[in-house]
Amino acid sequence: MTQHKVLIANRGEIAMRILRACVGLGHEFVCVYTQADAASGHVRLARELGGGQSLFRIRSYQDPSELFAVADASQATAVHPGYGFFAEDYRFARRTENRDRPLIFIGPSWSVIRDLGDKINTKRIARSLSVPTIPGSDRPIFDEMEAVELAQAIFAFQNDQGITEGCVLVKASAGGGGMGIEEVYDLDTFRSVYRRIRNYAKRNLSDEGVLIEQRIFDFNHLEVQVAAERGGKNAVHFGTRNCSVQSLGRQKRIEVAPGFDPASLSYAFDASHVLDSITQHSVNMAKAVGYDNVGTWEWIVTPKGEPFLMEVNTRIQVENGVSGVISRCRCQADTKHGVDIISEQIRLGLGEPLGYTQDDVGFEGVGIEYRIIAEDPTDRFTPCLGRIERFAWRPEPWLQVFTQVPTAVDADIAYDIPMDFDPNLALAIVWGQDLGQARARGEEFLQNLTLAGTDTSGAPLRTNLGFLLSRTQTILHF
Amino acid sequence: MLNVKELLEELKASPYEEIEVRTPHTGIVQFVGLNTGDRVLGPTGKWNEKPGTLLANLTREKNKKPICATQKGVVTDIASDFEGKFVEAGERLITIRHFLSKEEVIARILKKALHLFCAPERAKYYFVPEIDAKIKAGGEQSVKPREGMEMFIVSRMKRETPLAYSGPEGIIYAVYFQQGDNVDGGQPLIGVCQESQLSLIQDVVSRVQGEWEEQD
Amino acid sequence: MDIDKRTQQLAARLTYIRDIFGPRENSSVSLLKHRLEEFLTNASGYGMRELQLQVSRLEELFSLLEGKLESELCPMDRVRIVRHPQRISLKDILENVYDNYAEIGGQDEWSIDPGIIIARATIARRMGKKTVHQPVMVIGQEKGHGQEFRNGGSIKPWGNANALYYMRVAEVENIPIHTYVFTPGAYPVEDYPGAAQQIAKNLYVMAGLKVPVIAVFSEGGSGGAEAIALADKRLMLSHGYYSVISPEGAAAIEGGLKDKATPELIERCAERLKITAQDNLRLGFIDRIIQEPPLGARPEHYEFFRQLRREVIRATDEVVHSAQSLGPLRALAIRRQKRSADPQDIFVRWQLRQSARNTLVELRYTRFRAMSRTAFIDNRTLGIRLATGLARGLWRVHSLLRHDVLARYKRRTLSLLEQLEAELRALGQGVGGHFSWLGMGRTGVPPEALERLTTLSCPEEGACRIEDVWGYVSPKSKEDRTLTCPNTASHGCQDLWAPDLFGEFAGVCSHCGHHFPMEFQWYLYNVFDFAQAYEFNSALESANPLNYEGFGLKLDEAKRATGLGSSCITFETRLEGIATVVAMLVSPFRGGTVGAAEGEKLIRAAERARIKRMPFFMYSHGTAGIRIQEGTCGVIQMPRVTMAVRRYIDAGGLYLVLYDTNSYAGPVASFLGCSPYQFAVRSSNIGFAGPGVIRETTGVDVPPKYHRAFSALSRGHIQGIWDRRDLKKNLHQALLTMGGRNLYYR
Repeated sequence: MTQHKVLIANRGEIAMRILRACVGLGHEFVCVYTQADAASGHVRLARELGGGQSLFRIRSYQDPSELFAVADASQATAVHPGYGFFAEDYRFARRTENRDRPLIFIGPSWSVIRDLGDKINTKRIARSLSVPTIPGSDRPIFDEMEAVELAQAIFAFQNDQGITEGCVLVKASAGGGGMGIEEVYDLDTFRSVYRRIRNYAKRNLSDEGVLIEQRIFDFNHLEVQVAAERGGKNAVHFGTRNCSVQSLGRQKRIEVAPGFDPASLSYAFDASHVLDSITQHSVNMAKAVGYDNVGTWEWIVTPKGEPFLMEVNTRIQVENGVSGVISRCRCQADTKHGVDIISEQIRLGLGEPLGYTQDDVGFEGVGIEYRIIAEDPTDRFTPCLGRIERFAWRPEPWLQVFTQVPTAVDADIAYDIPMDFDPNLALAIVWGQDLGQARARGEEFLQNLTLAGTDTSGAPLRTNLGFLLSRTQTILHF
Repeated sequence: MLNVKELLEELKASPYEEIEVRTPHTGIVQFVGLNTGDRVLGPTGKWNEKPGTLLANLTREKNKKPICATQKGVVTDIASDFEGKFVEAGERLITIRHFLSKEEVIARILKKALHLFCAPERAKYYFVPEIDAKIKAGGEQSVKPREGMEMFIVSRMKRETPLAYSGPEGIIYAVYFQQGDNVDGGQPLIGVCQESQLSLIQDVVSRVQGEWEEQD
Repeated sequence: MDIDKRTQQLAARLTYIRDIFGPRENSSVSLLKHRLEEFLTNASGYGMRELQLQVSRLEELFSLLEGKLESELCPMDRVRIVRHPQRISLKDILENVYDNYAEIGGQDEWSIDPGIIIARATIARRMGKKTVHQPVMVIGQEKGHGQEFRNGGSIKPWGNANALYYMRVAEVENIPIHTYVFTPGAYPVEDYPGAAQQIAKNLYVMAGLKVPVIAVFSEGGSGGAEAIALADKRLMLSHGYYSVISPEGAAAIEGGLKDKATPELIERCAERLKITAQDNLRLGFIDRIIQEPPLGARPEHYEFFRQLRREVIRATDEVVHSAQSLGPLRALAIRRQKRSADPQDIFVRWQLRQSARNTLVELRYTRFRAMSRTAFIDNRTLGIRLATGLARGLWRVHSLLRHDVLARYKRRTLSLLEQLEAELRALGQGVGGHFSWLGMGRTGVPPEALERLTTLSCPEEGACRIEDVWGYVSPKSKEDRTLTCPNTASHGCQDLWAPDLFGEFAGVCSHCGHHFPMEFQWYLYNVFDFAQAYEFNSALESANPLNYEGFGLKLDEAKRATGLGSSCITFETRLEGIATVVAMLVSPFRGGTVGAAEGEKLIRAAERARIKRMPFFMYSHGTAGIRIQEGTCGVIQMPRVTMAVRRYIDAGGLYLVLYDTNSYAGPVASFLGCSPYQFAVRSSNIGFAGPGVIRETTGVDVPPKYHRAFSALSRGHIQGIWDRRDLKKNLHQALLTMGGRNLYYR
């Protein structure tokens, strides 16, 4: 194995996990931070494990030139984007490869990121491989007659499915961020909404293409964790997870692996069959498109047990750990907490072969991941600022906590939540033999957690923990 | 009541401001041969379109960028050991001692006289679009804040809430924040001048005009 | 006459001579100076008779030496003559040449632009015993013998707009227009209506003005002159100059803009630019020279005014005569007449008949079309020339048949068929309406629509629809480096990586939308599909018609570096299937300047578009103006190309203009600026003169974004701003929504 120096182009909890994984695999690392983020745990950890030489202050995490300048100055050979920031930016990946002094991008090839980064294109690829996708158009519609026909068909389809309140989603194909998107419940309003969206798109996005899709309520949000080696020949999955507990705006709050638990719960459909089907489809599609790193296939499953592929996340996800904790595999990355998917990602990214097949991957128990976020569930999950004074939990063999809040390590250090970033404080993953034990352990952890802040953040944090606690009972229920 | 004379004396005792020029981002620094004691100029021209004196060049990814003085003054310190080296973002390169101009002195004194409306918490602040448009069209003083008037948008972690003005009625005399920059809680956002204060402000302006002698 | 007065006059004449000859040493001048001084010192000792004698002798000497000095005048001296405060001005001409006049464009400083005088004047002519007062519209710049408020005859845009208004009035009233050009150049401000735009409008209107226009040049400074000088007859005062740029301006460009040019360099430039009346007559840009007294006409030269009167009357007569034939006797008489004879004895009516008015415009076009035809290199072989001529004839016939004859029948047939079909459909709905629902799904949805919801549509297009957007990729995208967007300070843009910026982003800042300049090939291949296009007239190449010193080498260098023969590329291409004629001004070739070759190519492109009935699209990749090294051969392209464009538009064509990077001066003030549909690529600059020139000529600093496309848009100069990445789409949209009669393709 050649030793690499990995530039960690991210912050907080994920930077710390990547950093540990690098050290664990015997690679060197370089960390970056910004002025506003100087108190973050990853800075402290980098200083502890690598000294001052592996730490650089930069203007912004989102300025690629800063990262490349640091990479050149520190002679880094690879770059890990983490999640967020540049993780799904194919231009960033392309730039790492095409520079005069190329770096290895720890993630899929840039062309894969580009092809799967576009939702419509993903849908077309999936359909060409007979992978089920959400009913609707797979290319921008420019013709009103065609649009009406599609909407008509969707309403009819929903009627067949026994959905009484049919709903069609009309969105500008070039839009995003919630702009130029509307729900329609009947054909008469559809025409006017279609025209409105089209005109909006023409004026503001200079592309009048419109997408028409079935809107699906009451669904399970499932994910398949896939890992594939460079060259795209060999791919495996690390099971499924269920991310249906979300806050407003579809932000995931609790994730559970596996995606369904037919052993302890009863479903209105054949749950194991659905899980088999989506994992199979995901791995097949990964192989077909030449996918070459870890990635997540996101699915929605209707109340009737119908799975549809929603999108592909061409990166490591926040919730990777909950899949890892139930996976068992005869490989280097197998730790006492299951498979460390980040280590696998780095290994694969640096060009090492997978070294095992799906048959070598097994699953055991149930994992629950909690996201502890400085936000107020009673006030539309508005982020709150303030100072964390004490953050402590009782260590357990079935528990992993990932946090950049230094208070967790050293009670003397108070931590001001920086306002420039997402207010994530920590991730906690508990593991149990079965769903019952996992739930009980999850509740135990949440109840014994000490998370004290000043007035501004204290109360919301407590309600937030209460929210997580209350939802633990209902996970995996439909 | 404001003691303008006293404030002026106070400023006269220390009429300088130390400006630290820092690297905006990482890169390799090259100084341009300035020495301590050299005079530098800020931006000039009718629209401040001509940049100030070149202090150093910062090269990152084959892109050489000038770092120019933002105020006129005298160079008091140069971090010359950075010459030719790769530096991190936010490193101090040069310190400039800047003698306060009349406008700056007036602004400083008025900051004590006006009613200051402060930021309730650390966040990014913006004017609401109507007020922003009004300021752009007619200048700051065209806006007359009243109690309860919705004036600001507070942006915190990508979520935005409106903020209403509270305080006496008057006109905006000064804006102390850059739209879109982080403002700490308790920092003033705007200075509001009440009708009754207008004569006082006239007084400050004429006094400073008369008594403050600008130096280079 | 009083001796004192006469000596004073002599002293004044000497001062004038010394003003004209500037700092140069001249034996005649020093002789005059010496003699006058001698006389003045000795004057007190002379008796009356002696004084008379001496003064008369001195006067004789002065006249003699003035005659001698006249032959020594260099071009720069002529420039000094026309700029001299004692030079005759328009007011003097109105007083002395016309029999009666009334100013209608304001009075002295109470005028929208005191630099321009507009007057209704009359010329009295005899018809037997009765006198006929023939009205004319007189328009010209007034330098006002140094009056400050006249601004030296440098006309502001609104002054030219006013002039244009009264030209139209003259057209309605069917009276001739006499214009007098006394301008060093237009006042280069962009305030509405904008220097360049207004000159362009003037040219465009004058190209089709249906009354005789006579122009008299004294000081013809580039664009400012053209604004009123597009005429049927162009006369020139013998001591005047007519030039593309002031000698100082040329010297400043020659010597690099930083330093002030030396007097020697200015003299040299004046020489090289071929600006004198003789030069311009030889080059064919003026018709006649009106001889002035030695060392130039001044207000006291009454004989000169009489001559001027004869000349303008004769010129007007000739123009009228060319358009509508006179009686045979008068025609003969005019032809027989000696030049010095007074033309006013033969009466010619100046009002034109309707048919003659059209002939007049046609003649004007032919006249300008024939100018500067030897000022470029034509590399085409005789065979090609013949073939081109033949093809043009055939196309003319083809267009006539296809668009005028056949199209009419086709339209009629089509509308009949359409009606029939509509009738049948109505029948079908009434009778078989409910049958159409048969064969559809239970809920009234065709089963194939249900299938479409979940299967891949258009499988032939493949699954991956993401490709590299641009066929041609800029060589600038090969370098691994970053660039800073100029808006970083105000918009917080991050540095851009060159391969992204010049590749995928097409040179557009992904954050603020600033457009970095792109090479012309990018447009040729990514917008105009040049690989499939047919280029024509590439054999017409720029030359050095004035043998401007050192320019031949520079021209060869430009040809070698760009591989082009001129800064203009003309070709036929298809835009989304619509055949279009495109003319492109290319910035890397001598800054995209326009000279005789470019003008000729543009005219031919416009003619081609007219004959083949295609939309005509002009893309300025950047132009610095008229090529100064070609002197008036360049400047004359402004009226020439504008006339061709006007003819094209009048024939029913769609003429679109798109500006990019920096477009300034002559072309903007003529054929580009006259289009009713002008657009700009974002971040481009458009204007008459750059900031440096404005500062120099007006003494005013202009704000940093003065020439930006958005400023031009808000001032009403252009009609829209297009994003480079959407050019093709916008062009197609423009072809579908804008334009004249001939857009058969819709």
